[in-house]
Amino acid sequence: MSGAAQTVSGRSTARWAPHRTAAVLRHLGLRGAALVYLGAMVAVPVAAIVTSGFGDGFTSFRTALAIPYAWTAIKLTLITSAAATVINAVMGTLIAWILVRYRFPGRRVLSSMVDLPMAIPTLVTGLMILTLYGPNAPIGKFLDRFGIQVAFTWVGILLALCVVTLPLVVRQVQPVLLELDPAEEEAAATLGAGAWLSFRKVVLPAVRPAIVGGALLTFARCIGEFGSVVLVSGNIAGKTLTAPVFIYQLANQFRAAEAAAIATLMFTISFVLVLVTARVTRRVEV
Amino acid sequence: MSLSFKPARWAALFLAPILALSACGSGTADGATTCNGLPDQPTLSFAAYSTPREAYGKIISAFKSKWKDEHNDQEVIFQESYDGSTLQASRVVSGYEADVVALSLGPDVDQIADAGLITHDWTTEADGGMVTTSVVVFDVRPGNPLGIKDWNDLTNSGVEVLTPDPASSGGARWNLVSAWGSALRGYGGVAKDDEAGATTLMQGVLGNVLAYDSSARKSIQNFEDGNGDVAITYENEVLTAQAAGKEDEAVYPPSSVLIENPVTVVDKNVDKHCVREVAEAFVEFLHGDEAKQIFADAGYRSTDLATAQKGGGDFPAIEDLWDVDEFGGWDGLTEKLFGDAGIVTQAQAG
Amino acid sequence: MSAPAAPATGPAGGRSRFARGALAATAIAYVALLLLLPLIGIVTKAFQPGISIIGDTLSRPEVRHAFLLTGIITLITVAVTTFFGLVVAWVLVRQRFIGRSLMNAVVDLPFALSPVTVGLAAVLLFGTGGWFTDFVSARGIQVLFALPSMVLVTIFICIPFTIREVVPVLEEFGLDEEDASRTLGASIWQTFRRVTLPNIRWALLYGVALSTARSIGEIGAVLIVSGTISGKTETATIYIFSALEERLEAQAHVVALVLAGVSIVLLIGIEWLHRRNELARSNT
Repeated sequence: MSGAAQTVSGRSTARWAPHRTAAVLRHLGLRGAALVYLGAMVAVPVAAIVTSGFGDGFTSFRTALAIPYAWTAIKLTLITSAAATVINAVMGTLIAWILVRYRFPGRRVLSSMVDLPMAIPTLVTGLMILTLYGPNAPIGKFLDRFGIQVAFTWVGILLALCVVTLPLVVRQVQPVLLELDPAEEEAAATLGAGAWLSFRKVVLPAVRPAIVGGALLTFARCIGEFGSVVLVSGNIAGKTLTAPVFIYQLANQFRAAEAAAIATLMFTISFVLVLVTARVTRRVEV
Repeated sequence: MSLSFKPARWAALFLAPILALSACGSGTADGATTCNGLPDQPTLSFAAYSTPREAYGKIISAFKSKWKDEHNDQEVIFQESYDGSTLQASRVVSGYEADVVALSLGPDVDQIADAGLITHDWTTEADGGMVTTSVVVFDVRPGNPLGIKDWNDLTNSGVEVLTPDPASSGGARWNLVSAWGSALRGYGGVAKDDEAGATTLMQGVLGNVLAYDSSARKSIQNFEDGNGDVAITYENEVLTAQAAGKEDEAVYPPSSVLIENPVTVVDKNVDKHCVREVAEAFVEFLHGDEAKQIFADAGYRSTDLATAQKGGGDFPAIEDLWDVDEFGGWDGLTEKLFGDAGIVTQAQAG
Repeated sequence: MSAPAAPATGPAGGRSRFARGALAATAIAYVALLLLLPLIGIVTKAFQPGISIIGDTLSRPEVRHAFLLTGIITLITVAVTTFFGLVVAWVLVRQRFIGRSLMNAVVDLPFALSPVTVGLAAVLLFGTGGWFTDFVSARGIQVLFALPSMVLVTIFICIPFTIREVVPVLEEFGLDEEDASRTLGASIWQTFRRVTLPNIRWALLYGVALSTARSIGEIGAVLIVSGTISGKTETATIYIFSALEERLEAQAHVVALVLAGVSIVLLIGIEWLHRRNELARSNT
């Protein structure tokens, strides 16, 4: 054991000490381990996708998009994801609000229920939706009388996306609401502001970054969703075929380059979003 | 504190699995394995196309008990998978070590043979390597509301057709070959040998396709979910669906290709797994009377051409039954219909 | 910190209460329609053929194998991602080096990919003409259509969970204590075990719970790499997929119900750990 004091980085004040070398080696060992782990498990697969998709320039990309329903699939994915994001941004904030601000029996249960999509397999979610909203199912048959079909239409896709991403905005907004000082809202109330005005001017600005962060996460999650959509949508090319299912079909047929081109497009979109979210939400956690 | 070897520990943690991976498997993959008879509990890996799972379920049970009786209570384990025929062939080529393959059509078996995995000529086996036959039918809604009778009815405006994707499903190629051949033989509203007319018919049918599912089974289930007006499928698929209590109803076009489904042993894999004896016994079993009966009960026609055409029982007689040799075999047909400039390829590209 | 009470109602007390009631009702109705009812639906559908269907399904060898396979994959995945996740979290927080923010971004990558893309990557790496195909086949190792590829893709997908939960905790505290511990002569390992680990305990367990739930529920990636070989490469989720194709709807619903049940138990664990984690973090 060295008599010299050490800083946490292991730098010794002595001119040469074995522990300095040891510390440096250990640092490099750990860092090397992390690099090999992330390199092998994440970087290599992603590199494989990108090089396959764009290895020969934009050829694979163009071939993939030339398939008649490719663009439709991408557009359908983006539109339904955007819609689900908006819906869950609003409903998520609302749910977070009543979970934080209200007292009622079963509040804990509701809170846990909201988190259920985080734990339950997406395929099971899809099956659950079919058992209720499918063509021969209770609510499905009921809605059919009004001409509304849920299963095997974009409505089903939207529903599946909303269910699967339900907790995302809630979990971003809830902690922020918890930390909000009610004093400001009380002040606004005493000054005569109604509940809605108070919400808009006092609460909303504070939770907006959380909502935006949650919304971005939701969107990124939606455009990659497979398990629930593949069961509920019917995967009809040009009508209800989404990008992830399309990539699945291409991959299954070993049309890897085309699948990779589409996949790269989709994950670039979500990766940018996830990065932005990380920045936004980190700012929120004070 | 002494110089620790902890960093080495971390490095070892990573190198260990990599070294283990390199060390294990002493090159037995490509080299010839010496087999000392069967393993105690032989495992047979079975890859089939998407439709015959119910039939094979029963046949495999029958085979297992027969083998048990004849081989000292030895238990054979079957690992089955069912999916589009071409998908399965691609997977076997890509490393799925199936010992026996039961596919929808010859070319898919040839794909595996071309990859060097099948080293014997499978067409010289019993019944030309085929175990079942079937015909192409139209699966319609109860009562046939659209009055569909022949291929040209599928080209009518507003009719939504379901057929699998020829890139992944064998059934899809049988469907489209049947359409093409029937047209050239003077059916489906097309004059005999009128290629231009036949092409127009194909384009009409394909233009009405609602969705190309990746396997025949997925296609018929899509239809059963309420999508589309008519699904082009195997006769045996409709019979299987009816046996399962579904409302599928078959309409028989007057002319159909004779669908013939091959089964064979994959030499490279059976030798690697040392299960050749069981695999070959299984294939032999499939050509035997017990299996033939199970196939017949499951909705598959006989490999005897005359019987197949005549039908009997649940099987209606087919007015005009022909096989792919009428049109130069699969080679010519594949190029003409599914090649890069093929009629189907072009029509799909819309 | 407990939730602050709702702000005092304005002059129009009655109207405000109605509005509050309506808001609550909307939120609850939304959750009920999206989650509660479908959950009830699947319970009903599963028991429709009678309670014996449960025994019938769970006694099938392929079903048992499916659950076993899911268990094995989950175990390996959670072990690997927890262990190396700790290493990465440590390196990210306690070390300074060029490329640290790049490493940070790489950790987020799995969240950005659709699971089908992950399966595709496995096909690209180990399929015909893949980067590592010759390497593994020369050693007689089967990756695709066998356990290894299924484990690899699940690991990829679960990588961020542990890291993302542990990093904030490591960032917030522990450095001073670790410094003190080292100054007092404790070895790196001792410091880690006695000082760091207790600090990150709840975050770590929370990450484990999340990874477990995600592994069990994985479908997209494993579906592509597995080949759906009954009794060999069918996980519980893949079994549901296959059973539906086999028109074994009842069996599919039973397995789905079992998975839903397991998820709910996990959820309770996740909720509890989440609260413990938040509590630990606020008690600086």
